Amino acid sequence: MNGKVHGYGGKMTLWERLYLGEIFRGLGITIRHVIRNLLHTGDMPTVQYPEEHRAYSPRFRGRHRLMKREDGTPRCVACMMCSTACPADCIHIVAEEHPDPAIEKAPASFEIDLLRCVYCGLCEEACPCDAIRMDTGIYDLAADSREKFWVDKEFLLNNTTDGTR
Amino acid sequence: MVKVTIDGTELEFAAGTSLFDACRTARGEALPHFCYHPDLSVAGVCRLCQVEVEGMPKLTIACNTTVREGMVVHTRSEKVRRAAQQILEMHLINHPVDCPICDQAGECGLQDQYMTYGLYESEVGKSDKVHKAKVQVIGPRVVLDKERCVLCSRCVRFCDEVTRTGELGIFNRGDRAEIGVAPGRQLDNAYSLNTVDICPVGALTSLDFRFKKRVWLLRSTPSLCHGCATGCSVRVDHEAGTVYRLKPRRNPAVNGAWMCDEGRDTYRELHADTRLREPLLRRDGALRPATWPEAWATLAAAAGPAAPLGFAVVSPRQSLEEIALFAHLAAVLGAPAAGVSGGAREADRGEGDDLLRSADRAPNRAALAWLGLDEPAGADLAARVRAARGAVLVYGADPAADAPGWREAVAGRTVIHLGTHRNATAESADIVIPLGAWAEKDGLLVNRQGRVQASRRAIARPGLAQEDWRFLADWLAAAGATEFPASLPDLRRWVAGRVPALAGVDLNALPPEGLVPGAVAAGAGGER
Ligand code: SF4
Ligand code: SF4
Ligand code: SF4
Ligand code: SF4
Ligand code: FES
Repeated sequence: MNGKVHGYGGKMTLWERLYLGEIFRGLGITIRHVIRNLLHTGDMPTVQYPEEHRAYSPRFRGRHRLMKREDGTPRCVACMMCSTACPADCIHIVAEEHPDPAIEKAPASFEIDLLRCVYCGLCEEACPCDAIRMDTGIYDLAADSREKFWVDKEFLLNNTTDGTR
Repeated sequence: MVKVTIDGTELEFAAGTSLFDACRTARGEALPHFCYHPDLSVAGVCRLCQVEVEGMPKLTIACNTTVREGMVVHTRSEKVRRAAQQILEMHLINHPVDCPICDQAGECGLQDQYMTYGLYESEVGKSDKVHKAKVQVIGPRVVLDKERCVLCSRCVRFCDEVTRTGELGIFNRGDRAEIGVAPGRQLDNAYSLNTVDICPVGALTSLDFRFKKRVWLLRSTPSLCHGCATGCSVRVDHEAGTVYRLKPRRNPAVNGAWMCDEGRDTYRELHADTRLREPLLRRDGALRPATWPEAWATLAAAAGPAAPLGFAVVSPRQSLEEIALFAHLAAVLGAPAAGVSGGAREADRGEGDDLLRSADRAPNRAALAWLGLDEPAGADLAARVRAARGAVLVYGADPAADAPGWREAVAGRTVIHLGTHRNATAESADIVIPLGAWAEKDGLLVNRQGRVQASRRAIARPGLAQEDWRFLADWLAAAGATEFPASLPDLRRWVAGRVPALAGVDLNALPPEGLVPGAVAAGAGGER
């Protein structure tokens, strides 16, 4: 680096070497910011996570959800397009016969291993029924065991944007 | 021989060859088609296989034309391509195109053909389609979707010409024409699932396989059906160590393009709960899991140089190599050996017919005779076992289930069971050794024609189960034998050398359809 960097390699001035002066100057800057932040809380750049969440682009790929039909049953027809497209091999579907011959096929179980997921969105793109979406905006995944990241059909069906985190 | 020019190449064919087959040879791939099937009569209803024959006013269907001297045929002209495209579009007029939920997707004639001959900009509106019944269970094994049917009539011809049961027919006309079962009947013949195989679309699906797996995830291994003495050529479709279905592999010398429904169920035994996964040793009256070193130590004590083996029996379900090696092991251990049918002996005699199914349900009985092993009848077997002193070794069979007098004959003696399942013999044995089931190993079978065919390993063995020939070879080595194989090809050479019928046959390079040793020398292909 060509520019002069204070205190690193360069020679410090006598004032700097006296230490206390610079300390108080630094404290002054900090206190100035504290007061300004207290007076203008709205302008604070800090996001009060986890109480507050930053608004992400609507295109952001968050935790998946499964869409429902009007009667509340999954829209998914267990075609396995998503699990075939998934590069992380983390979607596990077991298909079953649907009582309605017009629907014919439905997922008996639908599980995603969120820890293996790379949030690429290929599942969403592959789905011919728009049954799986990643538009929940949920990005903060935390749990105290690995098993809790293995989410099932019930979880995914109720994993709405305003649902429980 | 007649000379025909196909796409500019002059080729010779035997008189009477179908132009469809000639085009397949010339092009290296089949013409687009739904209704043609090499093992059925010609229907000529799908109109997809049209080609241009010079001198003919219109396009003609190749499947219903025989080659003629001097014919000049074009299969790749724009006119032919347009025709296929239009015909395909017609087939799709009322087709639901519900590929995502259709079990045929991935191996569908309509999908495959559309990749090459699709119009892509469809001229037919979705809303005008004629809808028909879906998910009709038309028999114990087959589900019909009338909408998806392209009315190729293959299934109808199969039931009329092959099984001659005639359950299926085409009813109504025009866009209401549909496949159906004759009133009051069911598609319940012993070969019904072949209709599912030959249905080019997802109109006929298998109740058993339905929705279990998408077909593009499956891997196929060429194998043999172990269900009866016919030994149909099959392919084992499996994924991640699980077998999902058996499909016939075309072998004109044995099974044509077919196999029976019962044979298709045989994959289930591979994943039964009763599979042996580890060696079991009897301790304090009960069979308990043991390690291999423990099992070997117990084996050596029960049937080794110190304690000669009394009697050895082997099932005709084991492969040629295994039976040969087992008989050799018995000789080294000083015991007489005999064949004994596996499972309940009665189950080895099933219903047969003049199509494929043999009443003899053991796939390799002919090999016993080749290797000079006889098969004493139940009471006779017990008498011979009783006459011999020492431990009794059972390989693959289940004589305790029903061989008369067996339990009394082995009472108080050490019984060693080499097998795959916890059957009655395993339950009453003292040493149980887990080995591979048929889809878990390579092996040769000799069918009722005397044809030697190869079955290939498709999946891994469960748990600690060992490969049969390796276990037998290890035991031979431990027993101090001087002659034991180091590899499977080695073993096959050794077997060929011991069986007079196999003189001059290279068992390591069998053709896909297998071979009948005598017929090779005589120059005959061996008809069925
Ligand atoms: S986002 Fe990608 S990695 Fe995650 S489940 Fe979907 S396809 Fe698989
Ligand atoms: S692609 Fe869509 S319809 Fe198909 S299995 Fe996945 S979520 Fe279900
Ligand atoms: S039959 Fe073929 S084209 Fe028709 S829905 Fe099934 S896979 Fe798709
Ligand atoms: S059900 Fe299948 S085999 Fe039978 S006519 Fe229809 S498409 Fe052809
Ligand atoms: S294959 Fe020739 S008309 Fe169907």
